[in-house]
Amino acid sequence: MARLSAVGIDVEIPSGWDARIYRRPSGEVRPALAAGASAAGSHAVVHAGNFPLPAARGDFGSGAVEVMREGDVLVVLFEYGPESAGTPLFAAQGPPAALTADRFSPRALQRVIPGQMGTQVFFTTANRAFCLYVVLATRASPGPLVGLVNPVLASLTTNV
Amino acid sequence: MVIAVEAVVLAVVGLLVAGLLRSHAEILRSLRDLERGLDPDFRQPVRSRPSGVPVRDPGSPAADVVGATPTGDAITVGVVEADQGTLLAFLTSGCHSCHLFWEAFDRRDLAVPGDARLVIVTRSTEHESESRLAALAPRDVVVVMSDEAWKTYQVRAAPYFVYVDGPSGRIVGEGAAGTWEHVSNLMHQALADAEIGKGRRRRARLVPDVDRGVRVDRDLASAGIHPGHDSLYRSPIRRDEPAAEEPGGENGTWPA
Repeated sequence: MARLSAVGIDVEIPSGWDARIYRRPSGEVRPALAAGASAAGSHAVVHAGNFPLPAARGDFGSGAVEVMREGDVLVVLFEYGPESAGTPLFAAQGPPAALTADRFSPRALQRVIPGQMGTQVFFTTANRAFCLYVVLATRASPGPLVGLVNPVLASLTTNV
Repeated sequence: MVIAVEAVVLAVVGLLVAGLLRSHAEILRSLRDLERGLDPDFRQPVRSRPSGVPVRDPGSPAADVVGATPTGDAITVGVVEADQGTLLAFLTSGCHSCHLFWEAFDRRDLAVPGDARLVIVTRSTEHESESRLAALAPRDVVVVMSDEAWKTYQVRAAPYFVYVDGPSGRIVGEGAAGTWEHVSNLMHQALADAEIGKGRRRRARLVPDVDRGVRVDRDLASAGIHPGHDSLYRSPIRRDEPAAEEPGGENGTWPA
Protein backbone atom coordinates (compact mmCIF):
# COMPACT_ATOMS: atom_id res chain seq x y z
CA MET A 1 0.00 0.00 0.00
CA ALA A 2 1.46 3.35 -1.06
CA ARG A 3 0.12 6.78 -0.14
CA LEU A 4 0.12 9.29 -2.96
CA SER A 5 -0.39 13.00 -2.28
CA ALA A 6 -0.36 15.99 -4.60
CA VAL A 7 -2.41 19.08 -5.50
CA GLY A 8 -4.66 18.67 -2.48
CA ILE A 9 -5.54 15.05 -3.17
CA ASP A 10 -4.48 12.17 -0.96
CA VAL A 11 -5.15 8.52 -1.79
CA GLU A 12 -3.87 5.11 -0.78
CA ILE A 13 -2.88 2.90 -3.68
CA PRO A 14 -2.93 -0.89 -3.25
CA SER A 15 0.25 -2.85 -3.73
CA GLY A 16 0.92 -3.67 -7.37
CA TRP A 17 -1.17 -0.78 -8.72
CA ASP A 18 0.08 2.06 -10.87
CA ALA A 19 -1.12 5.54 -10.06
CA ARG A 20 -0.34 9.12 -10.90
CA ILE A 21 -1.61 12.52 -9.75
CA TYR A 22 -0.90 15.37 -12.10
CA ARG A 23 -2.05 18.90 -12.71
CA ARG A 24 -3.51 19.91 -16.02
CA PRO A 25 -2.99 23.61 -16.75
CA SER A 26 -6.23 25.57 -16.99
CA GLY A 27 -7.65 25.56 -20.49
CA GLU A 28 -5.58 22.56 -21.54
CA VAL A 29 -7.57 19.35 -21.57
CA ARG A 30 -6.70 16.15 -23.29
CA PRO A 31 -9.38 14.56 -25.48
CA ALA A 32 -12.38 12.59 -24.24
CA LEU A 33 -14.17 14.84 -21.80
CA ALA A 34 -17.04 13.69 -19.65
CA ALA A 35 -20.29 14.24 -21.48
CA GLY A 36 -22.15 17.38 -20.51
CA ALA A 37 -19.34 18.97 -18.53
CA SER A 38 -17.40 22.13 -19.25
CA ALA A 39 -13.77 21.79 -20.25
CA ALA A 40 -12.77 25.15 -18.86
CA GLY A 41 -10.36 25.38 -15.93
CA SER A 42 -9.16 21.80 -15.66
CA HIS A 43 -7.02 21.12 -12.59
CA ALA A 44 -6.03 17.88 -10.85
CA VAL A 45 -6.24 14.49 -12.51
CA VAL A 46 -5.73 11.13 -10.79
CA HIS A 47 -5.25 7.85 -12.63
CA ALA A 48 -5.02 4.56 -10.74
CA GLY A 49 -5.15 1.04 -12.12
CA ASN A 50 -4.23 -2.50 -11.21
CA PHE A 51 -2.29 -2.82 -14.47
CA PRO A 52 0.72 -1.01 -15.97
CA LEU A 53 -0.55 2.40 -17.07
CA PRO A 54 0.87 3.39 -20.47
CA ALA A 55 3.03 6.51 -20.49
CA ALA A 56 0.75 8.27 -22.98
CA ARG A 57 -2.82 8.59 -21.74
CA GLY A 58 -5.76 10.91 -22.13
CA ASP A 59 -7.25 12.52 -19.05
CA PHE A 60 -10.17 10.08 -19.09
CA GLY A 61 -7.99 7.04 -19.66
CA SER A 62 -7.82 6.86 -23.44
CA GLY A 63 -4.65 4.96 -24.24
CA ALA A 64 -5.08 2.91 -21.07
CA VAL A 65 -8.55 1.41 -21.56
CA GLU A 66 -7.41 -0.09 -24.86
CA VAL A 67 -4.79 -2.24 -23.11
CA MET A 68 -7.01 -3.35 -20.22
CA ARG A 69 -7.48 -7.09 -19.87
CA GLU A 70 -10.07 -9.17 -18.04
CA GLY A 71 -9.87 -8.31 -14.33
CA ASP A 72 -8.32 -4.86 -14.80
CA VAL A 73 -9.75 -1.72 -13.24
CA LEU A 74 -9.06 1.94 -13.95
CA VAL A 75 -10.01 4.76 -11.58
CA VAL A 76 -9.97 8.33 -12.89
CA LEU A 77 -10.60 11.41 -10.78
CA PHE A 78 -10.87 14.52 -12.93
CA GLU A 79 -11.20 18.00 -11.49
CA TYR A 80 -13.14 20.75 -13.22
CA GLY A 81 -12.81 24.49 -12.77
CA PRO A 82 -14.04 26.21 -9.59
CA GLU A 83 -16.99 27.68 -11.50
CA SER A 84 -18.42 24.14 -11.72
CA ALA A 85 -18.41 23.55 -7.97
CA GLY A 86 -21.93 23.29 -6.56
CA THR A 87 -23.66 23.47 -9.94
CA PRO A 88 -26.52 20.99 -10.50
CA LEU A 89 -24.30 18.43 -12.21
CA PHE A 90 -21.86 18.56 -9.27
CA ALA A 91 -24.54 18.93 -6.57
CA ALA A 92 -23.59 15.72 -4.73
CA GLN A 93 -21.40 16.46 -1.74
CA GLY A 94 -18.23 14.43 -1.44
CA PRO A 95 -17.03 11.35 -3.30
CA PRO A 96 -19.04 8.15 -2.94
CA ALA A 97 -17.83 6.13 0.04
CA ALA A 98 -18.35 2.96 -1.98
CA LEU A 99 -19.67 1.94 -5.38
CA THR A 100 -22.10 -0.87 -6.04
CA ALA A 101 -22.11 -3.26 -8.99
CA ASP A 102 -25.48 -2.01 -10.27
CA ARG A 103 -23.96 1.41 -11.03
CA PHE A 104 -21.81 -0.03 -13.81
CA SER A 105 -22.90 -0.18 -17.42
CA PRO A 106 -21.25 -0.29 -20.85
CA ARG A 107 -23.32 2.82 -21.68
CA ALA A 108 -21.37 4.85 -19.12
CA LEU A 109 -18.09 4.35 -20.95
CA GLN A 110 -16.36 7.26 -22.64
CA ARG A 111 -15.46 4.86 -25.37
CA VAL A 112 -17.44 1.64 -25.71
CA ILE A 113 -15.10 -1.37 -25.69
CA PRO A 114 -16.57 -4.90 -25.61
CA GLY A 115 -15.99 -6.54 -22.22
CA GLN A 116 -15.82 -3.25 -20.35
CA MET A 117 -18.29 -1.32 -18.23
CA GLY A 118 -18.04 1.94 -16.38
CA THR A 119 -19.61 4.51 -14.14
CA GLN A 120 -19.36 8.28 -13.76
CA VAL A 121 -20.06 10.14 -10.52
CA PHE A 122 -20.00 13.95 -10.32
CA PHE A 123 -19.58 15.66 -6.97
CA THR A 124 -18.25 18.71 -5.16
CA THR A 125 -15.90 18.57 -2.21
CA ALA A 126 -13.85 21.32 -0.53
CA ASN A 127 -15.26 23.71 -3.15
CA ARG A 128 -13.71 21.62 -5.91
CA ALA A 129 -15.76 19.93 -8.63
CA PHE A 130 -14.80 16.40 -9.64
CA CYS A 131 -15.86 13.56 -11.88
CA LEU A 132 -15.05 10.06 -10.69
CA TYR A 133 -14.84 7.74 -13.69
CA VAL A 134 -14.26 4.02 -13.12
CA VAL A 135 -13.78 1.41 -15.85
CA LEU A 136 -13.94 -2.34 -15.20
CA ALA A 137 -12.76 -4.94 -17.70
CA THR A 138 -14.93 -7.95 -17.06
CA ARG A 139 -17.37 -10.16 -18.91
CA ALA A 140 -18.60 -11.60 -15.62
CA SER A 141 -20.28 -9.98 -12.64
CA PRO A 142 -18.59 -6.65 -11.79
CA GLY A 143 -18.86 -7.30 -8.04
CA PRO A 144 -15.32 -8.60 -7.40
CA LEU A 145 -13.75 -5.75 -9.36
CA VAL A 146 -15.89 -3.17 -7.57
CA GLY A 147 -14.44 -4.69 -4.41
CA LEU A 148 -10.97 -3.71 -5.62
CA VAL A 149 -12.03 -0.12 -6.29
CA ASN A 150 -13.87 0.65 -3.05
CA PRO A 151 -10.84 0.61 -0.70
CA VAL A 152 -9.20 3.19 -2.98
CA LEU A 153 -12.31 5.40 -2.82
CA ALA A 154 -12.52 4.97 0.94
CA SER A 155 -8.97 6.29 1.31
CA LEU A 156 -9.54 9.32 -0.93
CA THR A 157 -9.39 12.74 0.71
CA THR A 158 -9.31 16.18 -0.86
CA ASN A 159 -8.63 19.62 0.53
CA VAL A 160 -8.51 23.13 -0.83
CA MET B 1 80.85 2.96 23.68
CA VAL B 2 81.62 -0.20 21.70
CA ILE B 3 78.52 -1.85 23.13
CA ALA B 4 76.38 1.07 22.04
CA VAL B 5 77.77 0.90 18.50
CA GLU B 6 77.16 -2.87 18.40
CA ALA B 7 73.59 -2.35 19.60
CA VAL B 8 72.93 0.18 16.84
CA VAL B 9 74.44 -2.13 14.20
CA LEU B 10 72.34 -5.02 15.48
CA ALA B 11 69.20 -2.91 15.33
CA VAL B 12 69.94 -1.85 11.74
CA VAL B 13 70.67 -5.44 10.73
CA GLY B 14 67.45 -6.54 12.45
CA LEU B 15 65.45 -3.96 10.49
CA LEU B 16 67.07 -5.08 7.24
CA VAL B 17 66.27 -8.72 7.95
CA ALA B 18 62.65 -7.87 8.85
CA GLY B 19 62.29 -5.89 5.62
CA LEU B 20 63.74 -8.75 3.57
CA LEU B 21 61.38 -11.24 5.23
CA ARG B 22 58.34 -9.03 4.54
CA SER B 23 59.41 -8.54 0.92
CA HIS B 24 59.88 -12.29 0.56
CA ALA B 25 56.41 -12.94 2.01
CA GLU B 26 54.83 -10.51 -0.45
CA ILE B 27 56.61 -12.19 -3.38
CA LEU B 28 55.35 -15.60 -2.20
CA ARG B 29 51.77 -14.27 -1.85
CA SER B 30 51.90 -12.80 -5.36
CA LEU B 31 53.21 -16.07 -6.77
CA ARG B 32 50.41 -17.97 -5.04
CA ASP B 33 47.76 -15.58 -6.45
CA LEU B 34 49.29 -15.96 -9.91
CA GLU B 35 49.26 -19.71 -9.55
CA ARG B 36 45.53 -19.61 -8.60
CA GLY B 37 44.79 -17.50 -11.64
CA LEU B 38 46.40 -20.08 -13.90
CA ASP B 39 44.84 -23.06 -12.18
CA PRO B 40 41.56 -24.04 -13.92
CA ASP B 41 40.45 -25.97 -10.83
CA PHE B 42 40.75 -22.93 -8.61
CA ARG B 43 37.49 -20.97 -8.76
CA GLN B 44 37.24 -17.47 -7.46
CA PRO B 45 33.78 -16.63 -6.12
CA VAL B 46 31.66 -14.96 -8.84
CA ARG B 47 30.72 -11.38 -8.01
CA SER B 48 28.08 -9.79 -10.16
CA ARG B 49 27.85 -6.73 -7.93
CA PRO B 50 30.33 -3.90 -7.80
CA SER B 51 32.22 -3.35 -4.58
CA GLY B 52 30.36 -1.13 -2.17
CA VAL B 53 26.95 -2.55 -3.07
CA PRO B 54 25.52 -4.74 -0.32
CA VAL B 55 25.04 -8.37 -1.26
CA ARG B 56 21.36 -9.29 -1.06
CA ASP B 57 19.99 -12.80 -0.92
CA PRO B 58 18.30 -13.86 -4.16
CA GLY B 59 14.54 -13.79 -3.71
CA SER B 60 14.55 -10.81 -1.38
CA PRO B 61 11.20 -9.02 -1.27
CA ALA B 62 10.74 -6.06 -3.61
CA ALA B 63 8.69 -2.90 -3.10
CA ASP B 64 6.55 -0.64 -5.27
CA VAL B 65 8.30 2.49 -6.49
CA VAL B 66 6.81 5.74 -5.21
CA GLY B 67 8.05 9.20 -6.10
CA ALA B 68 7.60 11.98 -8.62
CA THR B 69 8.03 12.32 -12.37
CA PRO B 70 10.40 14.89 -13.87
CA THR B 71 7.29 16.93 -14.76
CA GLY B 72 6.24 17.03 -11.10
CA ASP B 73 3.49 14.41 -11.05
CA ALA B 74 3.11 12.21 -7.99
CA ILE B 75 3.50 8.62 -9.12
CA THR B 76 3.55 5.05 -7.87
CA VAL B 77 4.56 2.12 -10.04
CA GLY B 78 3.20 -1.28 -9.09
CA VAL B 79 6.05 -3.75 -8.98
CA VAL B 80 4.89 -6.22 -6.34
CA GLU B 81 1.95 -8.49 -7.28
CA ALA B 82 2.10 -7.22 -10.86
CA ASP B 83 1.26 -9.70 -13.61
CA GLN B 84 4.60 -9.17 -15.31
CA GLY B 85 8.21 -8.66 -14.31
CA THR B 86 9.72 -5.21 -13.91
CA LEU B 87 13.26 -4.17 -14.73
CA LEU B 88 14.21 -1.20 -12.59
CA ALA B 89 17.03 0.84 -14.13
CA PHE B 90 18.68 3.10 -11.56
CA LEU B 91 20.27 5.93 -13.55
CA THR B 92 21.51 9.46 -13.05
CA SER B 93 21.49 12.31 -15.53
CA GLY B 94 25.19 12.97 -15.01
CA CYS B 95 27.06 9.67 -15.17
CA HIS B 96 28.75 8.94 -18.48
CA SER B 97 27.72 5.26 -18.56
CA CYS B 98 24.10 6.17 -17.87
CA HIS B 99 23.87 8.18 -21.09
CA LEU B 100 24.22 5.00 -23.11
CA PHE B 101 21.12 3.68 -21.37
CA TRP B 102 19.10 6.90 -21.66
CA GLU B 103 19.67 6.67 -25.42
CA ALA B 104 19.08 2.91 -25.63
CA PHE B 105 15.78 3.14 -23.74
CA ASP B 106 14.40 5.54 -26.32
CA ARG B 107 14.49 2.75 -28.90
CA ARG B 108 11.02 1.36 -29.51
CA ASP B 109 12.42 -2.04 -30.58
CA LEU B 110 14.32 -2.55 -27.32
CA ALA B 111 13.83 -6.15 -26.15
CA VAL B 112 13.63 -6.35 -22.37
CA PRO B 113 14.49 -9.78 -20.87
CA GLY B 114 11.43 -11.74 -19.83
CA ASP B 115 9.18 -9.16 -21.57
CA ALA B 116 9.47 -7.15 -18.39
CA ARG B 117 8.30 -3.62 -18.02
CA LEU B 118 11.16 -1.13 -17.96
CA VAL B 119 11.07 1.62 -15.32
CA ILE B 120 13.83 4.21 -14.84
CA VAL B 121 14.46 5.31 -11.26
CA THR B 122 16.55 8.41 -10.51
CA ARG B 123 17.40 10.32 -7.36
CA SER B 124 14.98 13.00 -6.18
CA THR B 125 15.08 16.73 -6.88
CA GLU B 126 17.68 17.33 -4.16
CA HIS B 127 20.19 15.46 -6.33
CA GLU B 128 18.80 15.74 -9.85
CA SER B 129 17.70 18.43 -12.25
CA GLU B 130 14.08 17.95 -13.28
CA SER B 131 14.54 19.81 -16.56
CA ARG B 132 17.59 17.75 -17.45
CA LEU B 133 15.74 14.53 -16.70
CA ALA B 134 12.70 15.70 -18.65
CA ALA B 135 14.97 16.21 -21.65
CA LEU B 136 16.56 12.77 -21.24
CA ALA B 137 13.36 10.81 -20.46
CA PRO B 138 12.43 8.34 -23.21
CA ARG B 139 8.94 8.78 -24.65
CA ASP B 140 7.49 5.44 -23.64
CA VAL B 141 9.35 4.63 -20.45
CA VAL B 142 8.18 5.77 -17.02
CA VAL B 143 10.75 7.79 -15.06
CA VAL B 144 10.34 7.97 -11.29
CA MET B 145 12.44 10.28 -9.13
CA SER B 146 12.66 8.51 -5.78
CA ASP B 147 15.40 8.60 -3.15
CA GLU B 148 13.22 6.19 -1.21
CA ALA B 149 13.52 3.56 -3.95
CA TRP B 150 17.32 3.95 -4.04
CA LYS B 151 17.33 3.41 -0.29
CA THR B 152 14.87 0.51 -0.35
CA TYR B 153 16.79 -1.30 -3.08
CA GLN B 154 20.13 -0.37 -1.45
CA VAL B 155 21.52 1.16 -4.64
CA ARG B 156 24.76 3.08 -4.15
CA ALA B 157 26.04 3.42 -7.70
CA ALA B 158 24.60 3.96 -11.17
CA PRO B 159 23.89 2.45 -13.58
CA TYR B 160 22.39 -0.39 -11.56
CA PHE B 161 19.62 -2.80 -12.50
CA VAL B 162 17.13 -4.82 -10.46
CA TYR B 163 14.78 -7.39 -11.94
CA VAL B 164 11.61 -8.02 -9.94
CA ASP B 165 9.32 -10.98 -10.56
CA GLY B 166 5.84 -9.46 -10.31
CA PRO B 167 3.70 -12.42 -9.21
CA SER B 168 6.09 -13.43 -6.42
CA GLY B 169 7.06 -9.83 -5.62
CA ARG B 170 10.68 -10.86 -5.26
CA ILE B 171 14.01 -9.75 -6.68
CA VAL B 172 15.36 -12.41 -9.03
CA GLY B 173 18.38 -10.57 -10.41
CA GLU B 174 20.43 -7.44 -9.96
CA GLY B 175 23.77 -5.97 -10.83
CA ALA B 176 25.79 -3.23 -12.45
CA ALA B 177 26.48 -3.16 -16.16
CA GLY B 178 28.04 -0.84 -18.68
CA THR B 179 26.08 -1.81 -21.78
CA TRP B 180 22.56 -2.94 -22.56
CA GLU B 181 23.93 -6.26 -23.85
CA HIS B 182 25.58 -6.83 -20.47
CA VAL B 183 22.32 -6.02 -18.67
CA SER B 184 20.42 -8.34 -20.97
CA ASN B 185 22.85 -11.20 -20.37
CA LEU B 186 22.82 -10.62 -16.61
CA MET B 187 19.04 -10.68 -16.43
CA HIS B 188 18.64 -13.64 -18.78
CA GLN B 189 21.02 -15.54 -16.50
CA ALA B 190 19.07 -14.47 -13.41
CA LEU B 191 15.78 -15.55 -14.99
CA ALA B 192 17.26 -18.92 -15.94
CA ASP B 193 18.53 -19.40 -12.38
CA ALA B 194 15.11 -18.46 -11.03
CA GLU B 195 13.49 -21.06 -13.31
CA ILE B 196 15.88 -23.70 -11.99
CA GLY B 197 14.91 -22.66 -8.47
CA LYS B 198 11.23 -23.08 -9.33
CA GLY B 199 12.01 -26.56 -10.68
CA ARG B 200 13.67 -27.49 -7.41
CA ARG B 201 10.61 -26.34 -5.48
CA ARG B 202 8.33 -28.35 -7.79
CA ARG B 203 10.45 -31.48 -7.28
CA ALA B 204 10.38 -30.94 -3.53
CA ARG B 205 6.59 -31.07 -3.63
CA LEU B 206 6.76 -34.53 -5.27
CA VAL B 207 8.47 -36.02 -2.22
CA PRO B 208 5.78 -37.86 -0.22
CA ASP B 209 5.21 -36.28 3.13
CA VAL B 210 4.39 -37.99 6.41
CA ASP B 211 1.28 -35.89 6.92
CA ARG B 212 -0.22 -37.21 3.71
CA GLY B 213 0.27 -40.82 4.86
CA VAL B 214 -1.36 -40.04 8.21
CA ARG B 215 -4.30 -38.39 6.45
CA VAL B 216 -4.80 -41.41 4.15
CA ASP B 217 -4.70 -43.84 7.10
CA ARG B 218 -7.22 -41.69 8.99
CA ASP B 219 -9.60 -41.50 6.00
CA LEU B 220 -9.40 -45.25 5.42
CA ALA B 221 -9.99 -45.96 9.12
CA SER B 222 -13.05 -43.68 9.14
CA ALA B 223 -14.38 -45.76 6.21
CA GLY B 224 -13.87 -48.95 8.23
CA ILE B 225 -10.81 -50.08 6.29
CA HIS B 226 -7.98 -51.18 8.58
CA PRO B 227 -4.68 -53.03 7.93
CA GLY B 228 -5.45 -56.48 6.57
CA HIS B 229 -8.90 -55.48 5.32
CA ASP B 230 -10.12 -57.71 2.49
CA SER B 231 -10.71 -54.81 0.10
CA LEU B 232 -7.00 -53.95 0.15
CA TYR B 233 -6.18 -57.24 -1.56
CA ARG B 234 -8.97 -57.24 -4.12
CA SER B 235 -8.26 -56.31 -7.73
CA PRO B 236 -10.04 -53.13 -8.75
CA ILE B 237 -10.86 -54.75 -12.11
CA ARG B 238 -13.62 -57.33 -12.08
CA ARG B 239 -12.50 -60.41 -14.01
CA ASP B 240 -15.98 -61.15 -15.32
CA GLU B 241 -16.12 -57.88 -17.29
CA PRO B 242 -14.00 -56.97 -20.30
CA ALA B 243 -11.86 -53.95 -19.66
CA ALA B 244 -10.12 -51.78 -22.22
CA GLU B 245 -6.95 -51.73 -20.15
CA GLU B 246 -6.77 -55.51 -19.85
CA PRO B 247 -4.37 -57.47 -22.04
CA GLY B 248 -6.08 -58.38 -25.32
CA GLY B 249 -3.75 -61.07 -26.63
CA GLU B 250 -4.08 -64.81 -26.35
CA ASN B 251 -3.37 -66.32 -22.94
CA GLY B 252 -4.03 -62.98 -21.33
CA THR B 253 -0.90 -61.29 -22.54
CA TRP B 254 -0.34 -58.14 -24.57
CA PRO B 255 0.03 -58.93 -28.30
CA ALA B 256 3.63 -58.70 -29.42
